[in-house]
Amino acid sequence: MSTPILWIFLPLLAAGTSLFFLRYRNLLRWSGLGFGVALVASAIVLPIGEVFKFLFWEVRLSDQLLIFGRRFILSGADRPIVILLFSLWLFWLLIMDPKLVPIQFIPLSLAGICLILTSYSVEPIFYGALFFAFLALIFVVLLSPPGKEPTPGVLRFLIFQILGILFILFAAWLASWIDLNTGNQVMLARSLLILALGFSFLLSVFPFISWISMVGEKNHPFLSGFIFNTYFLGVFLFGTRFILEGGWIGQGVNIQAPLQIAGVIMLGFGGFMAVFSKHLGRLMGAMIIAEIGRSLLAISLFQAGFPIYFGMVILQSISLGVWSLSLTQLQQGIHDLDFQSAAGAARLWPVITSGLLLGYFALAGVPLLGGFPIYWALGSGLSFFPLWINSVFVLSTLGLIFGGLRLLSVLTKHAGEESILILGEPFYRYLILGLNTLLILIGFLPQWIFGLTRTISELLLGS
Amino acid sequence: MDPVIGFSDHYFDQFERWITSMSYFLQSLLVGLLFICGAGILIVPSRRLMTGLLALQYIGVFLLVSVSWPLEIAVVKLVAGWMASAVLFLTYQNLPGSVIDDRIDVNLSGTFFKGFTALLIGISVFSLAPTALRWFLGATQQQVLGGLWLLGLGLLQLLLTRDSLRIIVGLLTVISGFEILYATLEASVLMTGLLAILNIGFAFLGSYLLMASNLEESL
Repeated sequence: MSTPILWIFLPLLAAGTSLFFLRYRNLLRWSGLGFGVALVASAIVLPIGEVFKFLFWEVRLSDQLLIFGRRFILSGADRPIVILLFSLWLFWLLIMDPKLVPIQFIPLSLAGICLILTSYSVEPIFYGALFFAFLALIFVVLLSPPGKEPTPGVLRFLIFQILGILFILFAAWLASWIDLNTGNQVMLARSLLILALGFSFLLSVFPFISWISMVGEKNHPFLSGFIFNTYFLGVFLFGTRFILEGGWIGQGVNIQAPLQIAGVIMLGFGGFMAVFSKHLGRLMGAMIIAEIGRSLLAISLFQAGFPIYFGMVILQSISLGVWSLSLTQLQQGIHDLDFQSAAGAARLWPVITSGLLLGYFALAGVPLLGGFPIYWALGSGLSFFPLWINSVFVLSTLGLIFGGLRLLSVLTKHAGEESILILGEPFYRYLILGLNTLLILIGFLPQWIFGLTRTISELLLGS
Repeated sequence: MDPVIGFSDHYFDQFERWITSMSYFLQSLLVGLLFICGAGILIVPSRRLMTGLLALQYIGVFLLVSVSWPLEIAVVKLVAGWMASAVLFLTYQNLPGSVIDDRIDVNLSGTFFKGFTALLIGISVFSLAPTALRWFLGATQQQVLGGLWLLGLGLLQLLLTRDSLRIIVGLLTVISGFEILYATLEASVLMTGLLAILNIGFAFLGSYLLMASNLEESL
């Protein structure tokens, strides 16, 4: 037995098998939750590389698997990533309302998580790009549930991801040339340019951002939220490993400046879009674009930025989760997600709209909420860099907050009806309230998050 | 030197030169076929004809890849490509109303425009091919030309359409072009297998996207 079999192939098999049981929604959800707990628990407790007793067998869990001469490695140092990814899946499964979310979500999201792990674990790392192609295929199916036409945003997502993957594969080949011709600056510049183009496609860096707002506007909010959360996390994990293992930093290349420029552009766009968005889905898109920018800025700080980045991942998951859950519930009461239709929703459904507002404001970085201490740490790290970076950082945060204030004014607008209506099941309303409380708690006790993320970063960078 | 050996060497050299020039000629024909298929896929209004041209295109891809790879590995490209074409064709055939909808966007000026842009792509790639040859050191001129033509025409297809089937065919064309070029750089079994599965995966995705709106809602 090996860790790739346990954490990649077994869950993939489970995902494939569960496609035959889509009719049994509750069974699928509860067994999914149980399986998720088992995966997270196994990632926490099972010793790797040591013999241990499991029931009446003696088992040794190897950390690698060899397929056609290529290795898939998930060692003890990668344990935090495995725990993080399966915890994310478990979290999204927990907040999923099976009556409002297409049931294909359960197997396809699990398969997606497994493919992210595959692309992260494969060696040589450039093979991971191909697994991202499979991930894109699965996410396209997930975003186009039966009975619905595929939206233009989804098709654009597919095109951009495939083009990005081809560029990365080509750049990886060029990089192998650099090893042979050490010091060949022209070749290095070429491969870096192609690599940057590949990752720009994958991370939807300007000008390839259009699909995010299109998907946010036209697709199911819960599915979009999950994909925005996990896909970009997967790309960042893959990208970080690609850069670290490919020896790109060792070539004496300054990747900090390009990362910061891309981050500032994305953050600027996100903030600008948030000011003018008139649709709840597009507002989510603006939030995501800004988050990609902030993530790039955090990663540009290298060792100091990794704990901040993982803190952002945790916060983003909770905020996006509560936002998507609230939006899914709200969709039952309003026919469209534009501001006009949502006017006065807070007077009718206060709990559900509180999830929207807190989820948004936490990601925007409003003081006393979960995002504030994390973005404060990011801003402090960036204070050693040029003024224009810091100016865009502050202005974009203000733009995001302004967008949130517009949302607040729209949701609380007096639209004629005043009575509080009940929407959805009580469990999901309590869940929204619980997640809201968590977002506030993180704001007051950020040391919890930073303690955790520092450990994750040390384990990863130590490997 | 033995005159008999000298005589046979002379004929052997001539034969070798003939083989080389024949191979060059055949490869050039193949590249021409690829351009016609790529441009045809872009222009033809009929979906059936489009998938037929896609299947034909994979023959060219297979033969150009076989220049760099052993035949038994290169044939994987052909098998995967034909399977992808068959999946798309069968799905389209079995869709309700597919006979009526077979001809999409039949528009003379549009067709002319697409043909003209395909020609422009062809000319620009032809002029860029000598520069591109410096990037792909193990490749023949025809492989570079064929690969880049397919990449260009596939990208053009992706730019000009919003139809999901055409987008999938465009992506398959782009990947075919990439596969020709990449075959000159890397010959890993795993990579070949994964690219083949990716091709078939695209076809299944295309067939799912074609059928998705006709399927029963999952909510």
